[in-house]
Amino acid sequence: MMSLFVNDFKYVLPEIFCLTAVLVLLVYGVIYSTSSQHGYPILSRNVVWLAVLSLFFTVLLILNQSYLEASIFHNTLIIDFFSQFAKLVILLSAIASLLLSLDYLRSQKINSFEYAILIVLSTLGMLLMVSSYDLISMYLALEFQSLCLYVLAALKRHSEFSTEAGLKYFILGAFSSGILLFGASLVYGFTGMTNLEDLGKLFAGLGYDHSIQSGAVLIGMLLVAVGLLFKVYAVPFHVWVPDVYEGSPTIVTAFFAMTPSLSVLAFFIRFFFSAFYDFLDYWQQMLLFCSIASLIVASLAALSQKKIKRLLAYSAIGHAGYMLIGFASGTPDGIQAMLLYSVVYIMMTLGMFAFILATREQFKGQQIKYISDLNILFKTNPILAFSVALILFSLAGIPPLAGFLSKLYIFFSAVKVSLYFVVVIGVVTSVIGTVYYLRLIQIMYFEKVKAYVTYQQMDRTKSLLLGISCFFILFFMAYPSPLIILTHKAALTLCL
Amino acid sequence: MLESLIVSLLALPLIGAMVVFLIPSSSLQTLKQVAFGTSLFTFFLSLFLWILFDHSTSKFQFVQSFPWIYSSNIEISFGIDGISLFLILLTTFLIPLCILTSWESVKQHVKEYMICFLVLEALLIAVFSVLDLVLFYVFFEAVLIPMFLLIGVWGSRERKIYAAYMLFLYTLFGSLLMLIAILMIYFQTGTTDIQILMTTTFTDERQKLLWLAFFASFAVKIPMVPFHIWLPEAHVEAPTAGSVLLAGILLKLGGYGFLRFSLPLFPDASTYFTPLIFTMSVIAILYTSLTTLRQTDLKRIIAYSSVAHMNFVTIGIFSGNLQGIEGSLLLMLSHGIVSSALFLCIGVVYDRHKTRMLKYYSGLAQMMPLFGVIFLLFTMANISLPGTSSFVGEFLVLLGAFQSNTSVAFFATTGIILGAAYSLWLYNRVAFGNLKVQFIHEFSDVNRREFAVFVPFVFLTLLMGVYPEIFLDPMHVSVAHLLQQQQ
Repeated sequence: MMSLFVNDFKYVLPEIFCLTAVLVLLVYGVIYSTSSQHGYPILSRNVVWLAVLSLFFTVLLILNQSYLEASIFHNTLIIDFFSQFAKLVILLSAIASLLLSLDYLRSQKINSFEYAILIVLSTLGMLLMVSSYDLISMYLALEFQSLCLYVLAALKRHSEFSTEAGLKYFILGAFSSGILLFGASLVYGFTGMTNLEDLGKLFAGLGYDHSIQSGAVLIGMLLVAVGLLFKVYAVPFHVWVPDVYEGSPTIVTAFFAMTPSLSVLAFFIRFFFSAFYDFLDYWQQMLLFCSIASLIVASLAALSQKKIKRLLAYSAIGHAGYMLIGFASGTPDGIQAMLLYSVVYIMMTLGMFAFILATREQFKGQQIKYISDLNILFKTNPILAFSVALILFSLAGIPPLAGFLSKLYIFFSAVKVSLYFVVVIGVVTSVIGTVYYLRLIQIMYFEKVKAYVTYQQMDRTKSLLLGISCFFILFFMAYPSPLIILTHKAALTLCL
Repeated sequence: MLESLIVSLLALPLIGAMVVFLIPSSSLQTLKQVAFGTSLFTFFLSLFLWILFDHSTSKFQFVQSFPWIYSSNIEISFGIDGISLFLILLTTFLIPLCILTSWESVKQHVKEYMICFLVLEALLIAVFSVLDLVLFYVFFEAVLIPMFLLIGVWGSRERKIYAAYMLFLYTLFGSLLMLIAILMIYFQTGTTDIQILMTTTFTDERQKLLWLAFFASFAVKIPMVPFHIWLPEAHVEAPTAGSVLLAGILLKLGGYGFLRFSLPLFPDASTYFTPLIFTMSVIAILYTSLTTLRQTDLKRIIAYSSVAHMNFVTIGIFSGNLQGIEGSLLLMLSHGIVSSALFLCIGVVYDRHKTRMLKYYSGLAQMMPLFGVIFLLFTMANISLPGTSSFVGEFLVLLGAFQSNTSVAFFATTGIILGAAYSLWLYNRVAFGNLKVQFIHEFSDVNRREFAVFVPFVFLTLLMGVYPEIFLDPMHVSVAHLLQQQQ
């Protein structure tokens, strides 16, 4: 027991710091926001800044960890380059989504500082999820993260949409967690182990053994995968995504769009690569089915969307489909492509949500809801229109923008293992998908102005974030090596 | 110094675009002057490519490479040979004239317009000079973005959105198939460097597959007949300078792709599919020539005649002999000049009367004599009258076609008759006859700026028609090398 404290806790220093900081913030928020002495101050923005600071320090702690690999707490958590990389991406995107929310909190008069606390807490859950090396720790981390997200989705209590979104998200999330738990218990029941490494050792070379045990384990694996596919917006399990995207407050949607799916994907990859790699034939089929279904459904459904957030929801589903192609290829190249894709996707989504959050009517402060409301943008704010067009072209995967290179890597990994069919589907759907991105551009640039809406000015943090995103999109192809090397290394640490 | 010529050619318009971006959009004159100055300077710089070009080698010249992605073998490298030299020159030649044409006709979003053109110029130079398959794809596709915006924002009518979509989606679909083919090539050979790929061979089966995938992309661009639907739409809806670029350069991308990739990389498949190309081209020539005869929109007429001419080019490319390929290259150049000039002519009348319907025009030669002369000259060049640039190209193509397949040559030659038919018919309707004063009242002849735009075109048309050797000479070795590879 002594050695646990001596050795293991230093490995989770970032998480410990994050947890301590968020607890301090919670206490601080509760005490001061209810203090009559200070006139019941509204702490939401203040706490957001402090939360950004604590996440930033967590980033620094992770960057400065001196060891490369460790397996801690009796093999329930693992730390390697892959997890560190995923954690950094998650933390940075959480910071970005906190920064995006600053202006929104004030203008929408959301006075609950819990928003930032919940974001940090769910981020903490994601950090643990990424590191999980055991089905139990994974489930706990997943629930930790999801519970925060359910509350966040229902943040605006006076809005019907938001409460409905929270409810839907909760029910479906709890349902999927139940499925996942059932799968995990099947795996445990028929093997007697929950640790991924042990499972991997057990199944090594057993992939084609069709005994009853492995059949039951297979079902367990499928159910776990179904539970995880729920969380990464893959298609047969996607029904909640558009509603939650639309109903949740936009700052929360931005967070949903950028952060949680990466943590789930990170564990998902580890689950299949460490424990169930020998069942490749089975899960590859399943993932391919999901990715093809996601690509088709997303590209067709998005064509008929009128609301901008629903459109983005379907776009997220489509992009999840592309990521799953990389995953399904089952090679380090595929994982690299997937990681690259998710980083680029996060950058694009960041810009997109900075834009959506920024386009608010001058007087009412209402956010635009319908894509047809954008048609003035090229007239009133050409630079903003240009940046958004850039992001949209990149989402569609048009070179020479960042989205193209990531899509190229996905196709690359699939062609390498001769998954030509899925590549052709990917190509066809990406052409169809281009139509709805182009439609947004068409509305902004080409259409005659119907009503003159003036927008509030974008605040500085958002314009900075949008600028970063556009800069990245535009110039990523000029010097892609750093990110490619990082993702390559991360993929290799996981697969070798 | 010599090596960096192409890179500076690429960088110059981009720097110009950056400068234009920083100039406030209210100072219109400065914007236009900077854009025009940059593109003109780029043109003069590009002339050095021609002057310093070594005629005696088929190697790529002015080659310069930069490392790109660390873990793959993909390098950014640029270089030109006899095939791409004149296409780059054509690009740099047309862009300043495009900017000059739209000096007054573009009134909205001038700044963005100029940026679009300068970025487009850099991308097009990159397409013709890049020596890597993946990067070729990147630039090939990237052209779509400025083109889409050009048609959509500065196009003239409601239908422009439809046209912009057509252009975008047709091209995208074709080229994504090419992307898969590129990936397959990468996995077989481990490289996408064109110079290395020229030395590799593929199995017959695979060649056919890859050839078809590349064909899907190039056939849309050039355009072959069932894939040409986007072209009349895009041309009609684009602003004048946009049409000039579409006809002048973008259509050449397909021909360039055939010459650069399909022929040398998949020689057996190219031979195998030659009958397909010949059939499609002949159908295209006959069909589009006949279609031209019943169009009512001035630009559509020229657009369809472009399709007919470009299919002469494909016949030449696949004829498998020196005359055919050189003829097709020359025809591409000459079409880039003649058809661009015709679009400019239509731009002139459109600027004055804001209509392109044929039935409103008649007897323009009476009131606009200078325009009448210029229009006549280019109409004759479009018929490929001997002495004009198109004649040499078309003659060489027919010569090449005759050597490889007599019946194709026969049917292609009927295309010349039909070409004469629609061109003369068009000229007749526009320039001769009585004025329709009930429709069109104000006439002002070609002004000084427009005249200045036309002069270089006239000069080149005649130069190429009278003394084509200066254009053919740099091509000889490269084309001969290409043919050698094919055998």
